[in-house]
Amino acid sequence: MAYIIEGFLKAWELLFTGHPETYSAVAVTLKATSLSIAGSLVTGLPAGFCLAYCTFPGKKFLRALVDTLLALPTVVVGLLVYAFVTYRGPLGKLGLLFTIPGMAVAQIVLVFPIVVSLTATAVEGLDRRLRPTLLGLGARGGQLLSATLSESRFAIFTASATAYGRAISEVGASMMIGGNIKWHTRTITTAIALETGKGEFAMGIALGIVLLLLAFTVNWTLVLLKRRS
Amino acid sequence: MTSLLYELEAVRHGYGNAFTLDVPRLVLEEGASVGLVGPNGSGKSTLLRILALIEEPREGIVRFCGAAVGHETRPGAGGRRINGRSHLRRDVAILLQDPYLLKKTVFDNVAYGLKVRGEREGLSARVGEALEFVGLPPGRFAKRRWHELSGGESHRVALAARLAVRPKVLILDEPTASVDRQSARLIKEAVAEARRRHGTALIISSHDQVWLGGVAGETLKMYDGRIVEHGAPNILCGPWRPGENGLWRMALKDGQAISAVDPPRPDAAALLDPTSIILTTTRPRGVSAQNALGGTIASMTAEGKTIRVEIDVSGLPLHCTITPPAAESLKILPGRRVYVVFKASSLHWY
Repeated sequence: MAYIIEGFLKAWELLFTGHPETYSAVAVTLKATSLSIAGSLVTGLPAGFCLAYCTFPGKKFLRALVDTLLALPTVVVGLLVYAFVTYRGPLGKLGLLFTIPGMAVAQIVLVFPIVVSLTATAVEGLDRRLRPTLLGLGARGGQLLSATLSESRFAIFTASATAYGRAISEVGASMMIGGNIKWHTRTITTAIALETGKGEFAMGIALGIVLLLLAFTVNWTLVLLKRRS
Repeated sequence: MTSLLYELEAVRHGYGNAFTLDVPRLVLEEGASVGLVGPNGSGKSTLLRILALIEEPREGIVRFCGAAVGHETRPGAGGRRINGRSHLRRDVAILLQDPYLLKKTVFDNVAYGLKVRGEREGLSARVGEALEFVGLPPGRFAKRRWHELSGGESHRVALAARLAVRPKVLILDEPTASVDRQSARLIKEAVAEARRRHGTALIISSHDQVWLGGVAGETLKMYDGRIVEHGAPNILCGPWRPGENGLWRMALKDGQAISAVDPPRPDAAALLDPTSIILTTTRPRGVSAQNALGGTIASMTAEGKTIRVEIDVSGLPLHCTITPPAAESLKILPGRRVYVVFKASSLHWY
């Protein structure tokens, strides 16, 4: 039991004494997840909108496919992306392996289905009168997209928070693509895996608490954003 | 010369397999002000959506200001459809029966149509003007959010959003169905003002024929997906309440009532064939017909070998056809007081 209490004490110590290794992991985590969330929102929001709004052959199949990908195991994503970005792979020339952008790519693959699926659900759940209203007011093209997303903004905040939670907590893909290199691609989650492997439970718990605090900060920011809009 | 605003040819539309709207031809001139009446489910809303260019008919051609915006059913003719539609659509504004406000402030709702058109010049002045138009002082309402409004206020905000863009055509679907009397009056005034100031054409559907008569110049009657013109049945929209002798009554404004037999629902619409109506100049006695209603001849028009007579029965317009000899022997003329006689059982339920 003692090491659990020790872990909590250690967490405060790491946070408030500015432990450089911890802060490096926090910084890497934030960089990778920010990149991946930005990337998945930019692509996933319009894709989710189209999936709900447009009619095309194979739409139901695609929807089922996206929903299946929600449960994509992180190691499978890691494996797939690794196969592409490894130096022998088709994208090897980009030099993404063992870099933060490489980790972000893997997280985008992981999180994209979440953004698409939740956005589609949000758009489908919108009032049926919205489309004729927007058309009747003269909106067209991208204006329809932005107004529709704006009407479903609360649901989209939730989608973003869910996606962020998935990205920040995954360990498999970051480990495989990033390589858990100290000062370079070591994230909080890969550090926890490493510390636990070394038997350093206290350090692991401390890092876990840091991770939770980080996630809480993000969610609390979203709550404040929701209240304002 | 007045030019054509709308020209519909062989337009058919429906949901699922059946066609619920069938308009072989309809022409509306620029600056028209048209009322649309008919029972629920007669295709009014569908026609209005097609006229607003937000819905495309399954068959037929819709020409708006000379440009074809519907599509032809012939294969290979698809190439010329729609390209300019979103541009044309901006000349038409439609207020849906149950309007939807965007999850924004009143100001942003009213400004939305102007913003998507890129008309940012004098934006707040135009929004303010539109709100004044519908009787909502901008100082009190502009900053309110969509959920801080009553039903009538939301309806008027939605109308203001349509007025703000100064459309060529303003289409209102049942604008008075769910608002209080004051809102109905404000809507009428705002619409009339838009027409005076900007020459806006109006196309309005309503069950309230008296309200509609105060706004629209001409009236189209719809029944079962068709525009029924002369010789069409009279439509009585109820509501029906149980009366004496097992009959049901639809009360008219000045105490008169129409009796009917067994309406399927209290709000059922009844059809009265013009040929079932008998006109007399004296109050009939000793007839079996349950309905003998006093009214005034509103108009008489010759139609081939018969005369079409419009009678105002306590604000309810009814029409019937009579022969010229009958008109002569009754000595009826517009303005004359007559009695409209028909059997309670001659009403057919819709």
